[in-house]
Amino acid sequence: MRSGEAAVAGAGSKLSSASQGAIRIEDVVKIYDPEGAAVMAVDHCSLDIAAGEICMVVGPSGCGKTTLLNAIAGFHSITSGSIYLDGEMLCGPGRQKADPGADRIVVFQNGALFPWKTNLENVAFGPIVQGKLSRREAYEKARGMMADAGLSGMEHDYPGEISSGVRRRVEIVRALMNDPRVLLFDEPYRALDSLTKSVMHEALLEIYYKNKVTIFFITHDLEEAIFLGHRLAIMTTRPCKPKKVLEVDIPHPRDYSVLTSPRFRELMDETLEAVHEEARKAFELGEKEG
Amino acid sequence: MNVSLVADSMHATEAQASNEAVVTLLKGTMPFQVVSEEMLKRIAALARRATYARGDTLYKVGDRADDVYIMVSGKVEHALGLGSGARTLNQVMSSGDVFGWAALLKDVPERLATTTCLEPAEVLKIKGQDLIRLFESEPAAGDVVMSRFATMITKDFTLPEELAQVLRIPRRPEGAALSGLALTMYRVALWLKSPKPYLMIVGFAIFLSFWYFAVEVWRLPRFREMPGLTTVVKEWLSPDPVYGLSVYTPEYYQHIWVSIRRVGIAFALATGLGVPLGLFLGWSKTFREYVFPIFETLRPIPILAWVPLAIIMFTGSETPVIFLTFLASFFATALNTMLGVESVDESYVRAAFCLGAKRWQVFRHVIVPGAMPYIFTGLQISVGVAWFSLVAAEMVSGQFGLGYVINTSYTMVRYPTIIIGMVTLGAVGYVTSALVRIAGDYMMQWRVRELALGGQ
Repeated sequence: MRSGEAAVAGAGSKLSSASQGAIRIEDVVKIYDPEGAAVMAVDHCSLDIAAGEICMVVGPSGCGKTTLLNAIAGFHSITSGSIYLDGEMLCGPGRQKADPGADRIVVFQNGALFPWKTNLENVAFGPIVQGKLSRREAYEKARGMMADAGLSGMEHDYPGEISSGVRRRVEIVRALMNDPRVLLFDEPYRALDSLTKSVMHEALLEIYYKNKVTIFFITHDLEEAIFLGHRLAIMTTRPCKPKKVLEVDIPHPRDYSVLTSPRFRELMDETLEAVHEEARKAFELGEKEG
Repeated sequence: MNVSLVADSMHATEAQASNEAVVTLLKGTMPFQVVSEEMLKRIAALARRATYARGDTLYKVGDRADDVYIMVSGKVEHALGLGSGARTLNQVMSSGDVFGWAALLKDVPERLATTTCLEPAEVLKIKGQDLIRLFESEPAAGDVVMSRFATMITKDFTLPEELAQVLRIPRRPEGAALSGLALTMYRVALWLKSPKPYLMIVGFAIFLSFWYFAVEVWRLPRFREMPGLTTVVKEWLSPDPVYGLSVYTPEYYQHIWVSIRRVGIAFALATGLGVPLGLFLGWSKTFREYVFPIFETLRPIPILAWVPLAIIMFTGSETPVIFLTFLASFFATALNTMLGVESVDESYVRAAFCLGAKRWQVFRHVIVPGAMPYIFTGLQISVGVAWFSLVAAEMVSGQFGLGYVINTSYTMVRYPTIIIGMVTLGAVGYVTSALVRIAGDYMMQWRVRELALGGQ
């Protein structure tokens, strides 16, 4: 998808100083072959994400978006192609699977705060296991970061004791503790009600404005995609590759008033058209398989 | 944020707020975050909504403090009254913030601040007295909310004396930061206040009276030959027992002690070997390929089938009994631990790798604590089967122990002593199983607290 590159340059000029976190996905193919019947999940997918960009990856459920995320995070191997982070190859020829690392941190669909650790222990986990900070320094930094994110007072609660919206915030803070270059979101707000979701979106943008990281965000919620993203990569259904890359030309910082702006509606219509076709294909495919 | 609970934004209108939206909003606030859905609904039922225009004053310093406020949208500013001892002088509140908590303070019916609207604002109002009444009727939930209020207030202000007064509902010792033991004690105290222990007593009473009537009064067929309740109790409490075993004879305690010692050693060995084996079976696929089939072949063999082999393998009378007791426990512990490892959600493992953990750190910080609930379930089963196989082993070999008592009493026709042995076994078994459960709760505070919030 070369047409995307012009858009990257365009988006990049508006982005602030983030100098790290550019992802280049080049011709990635992923074929699952569980029982001899090869299933192509990702088909020659190429996508460039600029440093500090919020790239929303939109597509119907089960289209293979998560496969792509898992390849970047280093949970799964790829069949061919390559993925680079700031010019450095994560996986590619001769190296089928990237190593998971604290420069790319995933925020999981159902949340993955360790329920047996307090919020503070969760947030401090990264630097401690990496041996970057002593236990005390890590707790101190974690306390500070939690306070910045408005999470004071719940350091010693366990994740099971706080609401799911707050859990997501703690999880993002846990990721940011490691100064990651990229945050990978795997539909993290899927299970939240719309009221909480809107609060979460604003909180996420607030965090983003403070810590310029590249965000790779998978969703099938179009409103969420347009509200948050600099760009939308609309994916085809299985096998997955970008069908259309759409630049969201609403300037950041954004707040909830943009939802009612005419430009937002236009973008919504444009996206809906592209996505709907794929959703229908996915549905028919699902019926055949089922 | 333009979420609205009120359709018409008339000046200072008040109305009953829509319950569901209120519950959602409350869930996002600091004090109410951890409250159960059902409790939130009851709190929401107390809430009234109100809107204010820009520049309106919600209340002034010295006004009567009736309501606690929760911001829905818009912004308000507090200007704290001088002399209230507060550190923060001006504070802007926005959506999800809770203020006006003076309404919850014991002897401060007055407002400590003047609050004005910066933007058209929508708020929920809850009468402080209503809220306190609700909390007093539900001390468990009220307690948590009040301690969260206290945390919130200390975070923003330094008001030690008022803070002390917030903490007036009968509560657990130290608010949120309870240590394991204190929490356990708190739970015991709650249990004693609930109807549960009394129902338990009634249950026992019915069971014992059935025994008494069936054997000694109605003399029902099949029950007739059994020793009756009074016979057993008399024998058990007699300083000079007919058949030689009662609470006054040292042999009684020797038998108990020998059995406990055997179970203790066997259980410790089974845990020490079974938990690590189970962890590795779950963690390493290769190890599992080697070991699991053998494990599954040996596991179904009944304990009694091991008796001859145990006697051949081990000398003396003590070691074979301990070995037999150990076996069944070991299998139960190892299998449950393995299932525990498998139950750990893949996301946690991935998250740990993402955060830079090495393989052994994932094992230590994710696999082991994640498997803990299953491990403790396994240990409870394990201590049960330990008693089970102990008695089987003691009946076959050994010279002391409760199983030996039951078996020899049968051959020597001391029927009441059989029952004494059985009841003692039941009681001792129950205590050991409870100890394992308490140890589990102590080690898994996160789970206890999670379940407590779920209403259990």
